[in-house]
Amino acid sequence: MSYAVEVKNLTKRFGNIQALNDATFKIGQGEVYGLIGPNGAGKTTTLRIISTLIAPTSGFVKVFGLDVTKQSDEVRKILSYLPEESGAYRNLSGMEYLQFMAKFSNVNTEQAVKEAAEISGLGERLKDRTKTYSKGMKRRLLLARALMTKPKLAILDEPASGLDVLHAYHVRQIIKSYVKQHGITVLLSSHNMLEVEFLCDHVALINKGKIILEGKPADLKQKHSSQNLEEVFAKVIGYA
Amino acid sequence: MLKGFTTILIKELKELIRDPKILIGMIVLPLVMFPVLGLVIGYAQQTAVEQTQKSAELILIVDNDGGYWSQQLIGNLSQATNIVVLNNTTPQQVIDEGILAQYNRTEFIEIPSNFTATINAHFQKNPNLTAAVNVYSIFQEGGIFSNIGGSIGSSIVTNFNRVVAPNILATTPSTIIRGQIQAGVDPAQISSVLYLQSIALPITIMILLTYSMQIAATSVAMEKEEKTLETLLTVPVDRFAILMGKLSSTIIVAGAAAVAVMLGYNFVLGNISATVQAGTAVDLAQLGLVPTPLGYLLLGISLFVTLLSGLALAVIMSAFSEDVRGAQALIGYIYPLIFIPSLAMLYIDPNSLPVALQAVFYAIPYSHPIIASKAITMGNYSTAIFGIIYVAVFTLVIMYIASRLFATEKILTAKFRFAQKKKKLAEQTD
Repeated sequence: MSYAVEVKNLTKRFGNIQALNDATFKIGQGEVYGLIGPNGAGKTTTLRIISTLIAPTSGFVKVFGLDVTKQSDEVRKILSYLPEESGAYRNLSGMEYLQFMAKFSNVNTEQAVKEAAEISGLGERLKDRTKTYSKGMKRRLLLARALMTKPKLAILDEPASGLDVLHAYHVRQIIKSYVKQHGITVLLSSHNMLEVEFLCDHVALINKGKIILEGKPADLKQKHSSQNLEEVFAKVIGYA
Repeated sequence: MLKGFTTILIKELKELIRDPKILIGMIVLPLVMFPVLGLVIGYAQQTAVEQTQKSAELILIVDNDGGYWSQQLIGNLSQATNIVVLNNTTPQQVIDEGILAQYNRTEFIEIPSNFTATINAHFQKNPNLTAAVNVYSIFQEGGIFSNIGGSIGSSIVTNFNRVVAPNILATTPSTIIRGQIQAGVDPAQISSVLYLQSIALPITIMILLTYSMQIAATSVAMEKEEKTLETLLTVPVDRFAILMGKLSSTIIVAGAAAVAVMLGYNFVLGNISATVQAGTAVDLAQLGLVPTPLGYLLLGISLFVTLLSGLALAVIMSAFSEDVRGAQALIGYIYPLIFIPSLAMLYIDPNSLPVALQAVFYAIPYSHPIIASKAITMGNYSTAIFGIIYVAVFTLVIMYIASRLFATEKILTAKFRFAQKKKKLAEQTD
């Protein structure tokens, strides 16, 4: 089976700090894969390496068979990354922002923007400058930007972080339905275990830079006799 | 007192004082900058006085009169200082034959052929008649202290009139510009006309550079602060294109500003020469002291490449900050390199400095538009061209560093650290 993402023995050091320690996992094509763990566990570092932003200290990552370090330009053509706490250009309207970002991809700009308008559900507000948006509206815009080009791999860092119930629900619905509909592989990170359970086909638990557990949410709950992933995580790290 | 004011004040002070970037920018830099400027100004004043004293050490006299009173004047002067007397030589010959350079002088005195006859007439016929000696001075484009010591002419007149008779002697000043005598034009008068150039252009360039650098730094820092840079770096776009896009937009604004400066400068110089022409018969254009179109072009290019280098450096500096405030504080470290040469050149001609200081002045790229502005006025295009080449090479190096920075993760992870190393590292690791 060819994988969408292959991560092998991935290590990253920032000075004396070991951010990632020999992480290994694989993501099948069309899967929604969740990387879960507490703050500082190494989730964002992993996503940043896969999305070509930073280079690993050792180990390798392949995205659809392309090496993220050696073939970063090619990798960028097939992935889309939504950073945690990312923003949009304050003085551009939502529409202008989408047009600006769509022009970098190989898809039809008009079509992509139309798609994004539908995904975001922002309607007429897309004509307003993004500095007038609420946090939830901004996140919907950015998620729409990440998905509008129908990338082969979407990397979403805490996609619903900090959003109220309704905005978080909207964002999760988009991920759940849209990516399945278009066969997009998704790698997302979250510390919200319920969100992960709802969205992901496969999860990896990460703690102190190491992958400590991997599998399907249902299998993991059964194996560890737990009600939910939160309990699984607590048991695995010896907290419960 | 306002409720909560003290609490907020203390918190704000703590934040400001604990940010080393602000502390250095606001307190340490002024503490360094002003003493340096003080030294420069002091040096400029001292140099001007020394030059005057040096002028008085040896006076070059062309005696085209040869009569009784010219001998009296020469005798009078020889008692006060060393003199060299030339006979039957025209002022233009003194210049053309390199006699000034031979004696390392910038001024000489001509006693005209009617000198004795005029003084005799003063005593015998008309006490209102005044004899004149002609004082020729090479025009030097210096700073605002360039005429602090005055000319040797005034001391000669004072002394002679005291010994012989009140108001019997006057001087007729003339200026030597590029080897040509501009008869009846006082170099002090030209200096006062060009005073504007000595002050306005350096200040304008200073403002233009600092403002443009702030824009460029803010542009990158804003991307980091608003977290848009991470997204941009993962889309299929050449990272050099991102850098060039950012620089180019600022360059367009800065280029427009450079053109505006040139137009304003040209207008002001033209206006002043017109005014002066009517009032005192000093026409800068006629004297060849208004830059030619080539001069303006070179000045424009010099300003442009300097702006470009400043902008590229601002982009690099801002890459080491996490937000707009940090970027602006970091850019503040470059300001002394802009302010010190700009302010110093209000007072001095860099060529009058010792070689080591000259090297420092010429090494700072932000000095060059000001050096160029003075050089082109004097028709010294090679200095302007040298400056352009130097700044262009400096800019290329800076651009290369900036492009390398954008090509690697350093653009995201590089931080200018003081004491918070561990804290910053921890922030990167999630």
